[in-house]
Amino acid sequence: MGKLLYKSRFYVLGLLVLGLATVPVWGTDYLVLFFLLFCLYLAMSQMWNLLIGYSGLLSLGQQAFIGLAGYTVAVMCNYYGVYIWLSVFLGGLFSAILALFMSLFIFRMKWVYFGIGTWIFAEALLLWFSNWEYVKYGMGLFIKPTPPPSMTEIYYGSFFMGVGSVVLVYGILRSKLGLGLMAMRDDEEVSETMGVEVFRSKLYCFLIAAFMTGLSAGVLYVFQIFIQPYKAFAIDWTVKLVFIVIIGGIGTIEGPIVGAFIYVLLSQWLAEYVSVSMLILGAIAIAVILLAPKGIMGTLQEKLGFEILSPRRK
Amino acid sequence: MEDLAQPILNGILLGGLYAVIAIGLSTMFGIVKFVNLAHGDLMILGSFLSLVLVSWLGINPFWTILIVVPVMYFVGFIIQVFLLNRVLGKGLEPPLIVAFGLSIILQNILLLIFTPDARSLMTPLAVKTIPVGEFLNIPAVYLVDFLAGGAVICCLYYFFQRTYMGRAIRAASDDEVAAQLMGVNTRNIYAKAMGIAMMTAGVAGVLVGTTFTFYPHTGPQYLITAFGVIVIAGFGSMKGTFVGGLILALSQILGAHFIGPGYQLLSGYVVLLIVLAVRPQGLFGTV
Repeated sequence: MGKLLYKSRFYVLGLLVLGLATVPVWGTDYLVLFFLLFCLYLAMSQMWNLLIGYSGLLSLGQQAFIGLAGYTVAVMCNYYGVYIWLSVFLGGLFSAILALFMSLFIFRMKWVYFGIGTWIFAEALLLWFSNWEYVKYGMGLFIKPTPPPSMTEIYYGSFFMGVGSVVLVYGILRSKLGLGLMAMRDDEEVSETMGVEVFRSKLYCFLIAAFMTGLSAGVLYVFQIFIQPYKAFAIDWTVKLVFIVIIGGIGTIEGPIVGAFIYVLLSQWLAEYVSVSMLILGAIAIAVILLAPKGIMGTLQEKLGFEILSPRRK
Repeated sequence: MEDLAQPILNGILLGGLYAVIAIGLSTMFGIVKFVNLAHGDLMILGSFLSLVLVSWLGINPFWTILIVVPVMYFVGFIIQVFLLNRVLGKGLEPPLIVAFGLSIILQNILLLIFTPDARSLMTPLAVKTIPVGEFLNIPAVYLVDFLAGGAVICCLYYFFQRTYMGRAIRAASDDEVAAQLMGVNTRNIYAKAMGIAMMTAGVAGVLVGTTFTFYPHTGPQYLITAFGVIVIAGFGSMKGTFVGGLILALSQILGAHFIGPGYQLLSGYVVLLIVLAVRPQGLFGTV
């Protein structure tokens, strides 16, 4: 069973991607919405996974990039009439620039200090935007692109982000950078003496993650139409990403895929009871940490004895 | 100068409250090297506990401290025994994630029970001020916060320096293996330490409730405040925590005074980031 699965893994993956690519053709409107959210959460959680699982960076401030990118889209579209997908790209770019600026302050910090440092940045941005007349304070902005993109267009934007994030992380991990990252994760000091440029590798990951998170958030806000600082810069974003990665399996490429699916399923199922779904997610995350700390995919990989998307060369 | 005296006075008094919010977090970090991301939510749990007691018994909120504090001790003890002790020594992520999960669970349980409405603990002191000289007015609640904050930190300092239990906790944190060899049950010690940290959170919860309005989701905001105090002070220093509280509160209040009330929290964060960039180990910390 395991062997058969191992040999056919790329066919199975190919079929899944094909299925995902053709949702607007065969799926109902609801399914399109479901997989759109799935792809975007997959992309964002994959990036958080890259940070924590491979670079050892505990970021609790991903909402800084999400909010900034969302606002970039809104401002570019509304005030300057920039083409919608170009403004999404600019959102990603600004997020990466913000990450570079943040790194001046927080890259000296380790672990939890780093996490709280990123969080404080996000909170500062929240306060800044809710006091800024240019973006209409806390009232928020409606994103009005001309011409408005169709649902299919937005879906393919998110599909591109979802699949792209997996391919990107897979590519990074199989490159020289990834090899260094995995050595760092196992033992930072030893890897540094062996010639891994720890600081630079971490910085690259942080910038890439900020860029991709910003892009995904841009697509999400094109879909959501309305942006408001208290939602856009809320810690809730990071909470979701943490739960997705923990439940799926920290430090595995497949983990965020499973985690994002479970999250979107649960949040759609309990859409009217947001607090109940967050409660359940919190409880699942604690249970996973106590009982199977490697998450669903990490545990499954141990049982099956192989990784579907192995970053290691045979 | 006269119009600056009032904000500075308010800042100093508020600093005492910030210090008592932070002291539990600092204690747990000092002892177990664990950052309790649920600290703010557990403190707000204390506020809601007090709210329930006030509406049941109709007493002054300050009396509820007598019940809230022991209850919070057991809450902390149980959390440590059943959740956190089980993930100790399994790396850095698991305890953080457990606390993070706990924080979300607490917020949403409070939200389901108490709805998202703003709450406050009403005391007769809330509207009283004590005039000093011609220009200054001391808000009575702030004064109580400051005095209570100072008292809590003094008690904690005395406890860790002078009592057998306090020394045992410090011994267990200094060298876990040696303490275990001497027959100290370190897990039990950690649970008691968490209980004590939560007692301070209980006091902080009641004080915050009488001073500000609170919601089920205000926990993270106070976690950041507490963290700010500790980062400015440097981890593990008790006297430093008090000074850190003063600095953070002063920078917030003065920021609000000079720039505008909307920038109160923001100016606190800016000062915090400057301290982080210039002196990452904090003003009183050692590397």
